[in-house]
Amino acid sequence: MTDYKPNGNGSNRRYFSKPKYCQFCTDKNLVIDYKNTDLLMRFINETGKIRPRRQTGTCAKHQREIAQAIKNARHIALIPFTGDVWSDSNS
Amino acid sequence: MREYELVYILQADLDDATTDGIVENIETLIKNSNGEIDKVERWGKRKLAYPIRKMNEGYYVCVNFKFEPDQIANLKRSLGYNENVLRYIIVKKA
Repeated sequence: MTDYKPNGNGSNRRYFSKPKYCQFCTDKNLVIDYKNTDLLMRFINETGKIRPRRQTGTCAKHQREIAQAIKNARHIALIPFTGDVWSDSNS
Repeated sequence: MREYELVYILQADLDDATTDGIVENIETLIKNSNGEIDKVERWGKRKLAYPIRKMNEGYYVCVNFKFEPDQIANLKRSLGYNENVLRYIIVKKA
């Protein structure tokens, strides 16, 4: 967890205390669904971007599924593309 | 036959009768191409995350159905022709 070191190319990635295990591998009941807005909201940041794996701690397989679900949800306007309307449109 | 899920957004400013009409219309559209409807779920009016065609609200409907894969393109085309459908998405069920 604390093995953070600068990656040499000058970009200083902020340290996040990421979960050690993928939450979808741990909890088999947790299904990734593009209609589940509350779940997907946890995987986008304030600007509406998909949060990287080093922050969310999901495994590669589930990160791909999450990313696809977010893209689907964006298409049918359940989730914003940009974060502007985020704060006031939370039903 | 394969299981699909369709979510579409209708204009929110239509009256109830026309909304019901369009929902039924889309159901018959599926049935006419030998599709089977398992479940129709109406989420009702919801605020859109971003404006579509300058509208901030939409009427969401979710349909679970079985369909022939090679007919999906036709279904998509007819949904696209419908002026009142703001957006739709068809996904395969796992």
